[in-house]
Amino acid sequence: MSEQPRHRVVITGLGVIAPNGNGQQEFWRACVEGRSGVRQITRFDAGFLPVRIAGEVPSFPARDFGLSEQEIEVLDRSTQFVVAAAHLALQDGGLLSPPDKLTASFDRDNCGVAIGTAMGPVGEGERLWRLFTRSGKQPPAYPASGVNLATLLLSSMPATAIAMHYQLHGPSTVIATGCSAGADAIGQAFWNIQEGRATSMLAGGCDSSINPSSINVFSVMRALSTRNAEPERASRPYDRLRDGFVMSEGAAVLLLEDREGALERGATIYAELLAFVSNSNAYHMTALPPDGSPLQDLLRQAMTEAGITPRQLGYINSHGSSTPSNEPAETAAYKAVFGEYAYRIPISATKSMIGHAQGAASAIEAVVTALALHHQILPPTINQEQADPLCDLDYVPNVARPASFQVALSHSSGFGGVNTALVLARPEFLATQEKEGEI
Amino acid sequence: MSAAGERRVVVTGMGVVAPNGLGVEEFWRSCLNGISGIKPLRRFPTEDLPISVAGEVADFQAEAYLERKFVQRTDRMTHFACVAVAEALRHARLDLALEDPRRVGTVIANTLGGVEFVIRQIEALYTQGPRAMSAYTAIAWLQVSNVGQVSLSYGLQGYCKTPVSDTAGGLEAMAVAANAIRRGVADVVLAGGSEALLHPFFLLVFGQSGLSAPGRDPRAYRPFDRRAAGLILAEGAGICVLEEYEHARLRRAPIYGEILGSGSTNDARAPFSSSSDGTYYARAIRLALQDAHLRPADISYVNLDGRAEVQADRAEASALREVFGAYTEDLPVSVPRTMIGHSYAAAGALDTITTLLALRNRQIPPVLNCEQPEPLHQLNLVRERAQPFAGSHALIGGRGICGSNVALVVGRGAE
Repeated sequence: MSEQPRHRVVITGLGVIAPNGNGQQEFWRACVEGRSGVRQITRFDAGFLPVRIAGEVPSFPARDFGLSEQEIEVLDRSTQFVVAAAHLALQDGGLLSPPDKLTASFDRDNCGVAIGTAMGPVGEGERLWRLFTRSGKQPPAYPASGVNLATLLLSSMPATAIAMHYQLHGPSTVIATGCSAGADAIGQAFWNIQEGRATSMLAGGCDSSINPSSINVFSVMRALSTRNAEPERASRPYDRLRDGFVMSEGAAVLLLEDREGALERGATIYAELLAFVSNSNAYHMTALPPDGSPLQDLLRQAMTEAGITPRQLGYINSHGSSTPSNEPAETAAYKAVFGEYAYRIPISATKSMIGHAQGAASAIEAVVTALALHHQILPPTINQEQADPLCDLDYVPNVARPASFQVALSHSSGFGGVNTALVLARPEFLATQEKEGEI
Repeated sequence: MSAAGERRVVVTGMGVVAPNGLGVEEFWRSCLNGISGIKPLRRFPTEDLPISVAGEVADFQAEAYLERKFVQRTDRMTHFACVAVAEALRHARLDLALEDPRRVGTVIANTLGGVEFVIRQIEALYTQGPRAMSAYTAIAWLQVSNVGQVSLSYGLQGYCKTPVSDTAGGLEAMAVAANAIRRGVADVVLAGGSEALLHPFFLLVFGQSGLSAPGRDPRAYRPFDRRAAGLILAEGAGICVLEEYEHARLRRAPIYGEILGSGSTNDARAPFSSSSDGTYYARAIRLALQDAHLRPADISYVNLDGRAEVQADRAEASALREVFGAYTEDLPVSVPRTMIGHSYAAAGALDTITTLLALRNRQIPPVLNCEQPEPLHQLNLVRERAQPFAGSHALIGGRGICGSNVALVVGRGAE
């Protein structure tokens, strides 16, 4: 990389598979209406576990999203989600001719794929272990049938499956940084285009870990909500009665393009990516310190990198996982960075509606942030009933509302202590900035 | 070779946990002398497994390096990573107390996660019930544990990532970390890969993949040989301290080499399908050379991926011919990995280390077991015995099973 000016990067297509809606339109409507996708677990009999609720994707007609019979047979559920989300993003970006063909002029050699995942094909691993050992009743032995090698052996499948499906030859990668993985993948993709390693990227995240071992792993850590009787009310970030996160599944893919190319082909631009910043807590494997200090650093860095002031920041889509310790730390960080102005920045947590889709979460939240900028509507944080004195900012409680804003930030904190933020702006933002500068 | 004003990335420390050497010194001695770490597996019985030889880090006692409680709460992959990191930091003479922790990052590739730890816990869940599962499972098992625990142990608060690109992950980690330093988001990054996948359950699955050399012969990993029939697995870790050149110079750090450029592409072909087409691999190599501002003729050694599968080997040879033309027949190449086994995400990191050591010590470590080179490939293989050389730049190639190609260009170090 030489000292050439960095390319500008815009978001021109959005694809989502989420517990409360597939496709950006259906999903956005659900978010604006504050509809929860959390239900009783149906994917397996969870009767023997203390946690029996999750955000499952209720309907997934894979064929409608361009997946072939072979892909449906070979790919694990989370990878199928992400291939579908890529299809939706390309379709949304106007690059597919029906049913699923990339336009001939698209530069496939310089289009890469970056996908984040926290759990990988863990459900498949568990299934195979049960198959090989008859659920622990015998030493592992290779069974006569029922094994699909690809899912377990090929951890980079989420990115490669997309590359294969659309014959994309640019740089492809999978990033596994826990709950911030999706945003990290989007960030790396953003850098790839900025620095000239690709002209477009499909970037996002996926996970599907609603299986006994994944649920129980978090359950034994007491990280999950046990509000089994009221699933829709279980994920309640910032609310005093929150008692843990809700496991969910899904995928999101963003089509990122070099701005010049996007303008040239007359693409609809949802937003421009201004900054990607990332750091590490070095405090605890799963928690922020009470003052949220690493998040403070991250927010400051994000604003510097994006070249914006706090007053230009019109919306924050927060990590808001609904755990007792996360939200006070987040709130403390906002106050430390923004001072009194923190009370005037609307903040909302998408996880209140769909739970925590692990590596997909931060990618889905990036989609929400882009759509909020595009539609000039702030999606709500639902289940706000009893105020927590430690969380006293504007969390856009329960009801969406219109707003006029140019810049938004989405951040996530995850396992391993990784924190990541993305800063997005309306497509005209930088031009208006320059004009003001001239005056 | 870099453009004016560009931030350069040098390697100031290295750490190795490998089947043929614990620590850089022993590892390098083995590599130079053609000593292989591939042997019959010792950590568990293999009578009922399709794979019984591998590059096992057999004498590794985690408790000798790490606190007992830490060892119990983490997986073997994390033990490897932590031990390699400690050695690399020692070599780099890096006093972290003098560094801004926000400018020091960690990028460690991994593929399978903490297999041993998580399978024990899944077993506990099914045989003893939900409460028998360890509360440390999630953090011990996820791939992110390695960077998380390293950051936590040393108080590193900078840029922190976990590439998962199956067999090319370690090489990608080097590229990602170097690009982060060039970009200016960090001054120091601990970069590499760690993998501990030698577990009966995984071997049962891998044995069916067609990638594995059959039989019990520890010399069966034969890339570019007529008899090439697959690779042999290994475990281990390789870590490099990557550092911005001025930062390293100011603190008078030892400089073991320089990361000059990288390139990455994807074949986008079906997994497990073999192909002799090296077009996109060649493109990755060209992109890496371009990134390094070098011409093909500047490269004097290539550390190859060497899958030891007829079509894959042919693809690699044809990619070299596409980039290097007639020079291919003179260009020394080898697969030092034949002395280690294929350690998946650690492989690219260990390959980077062998290549840097080759440049520094002016010796090319050989490819083993290639007694009958396939004449079709027309490569200048450094076989069986190390060979002296005098070049300043080398290339490392890595290929994922899923079709990703990564190429990294390294140099002897900032002059």
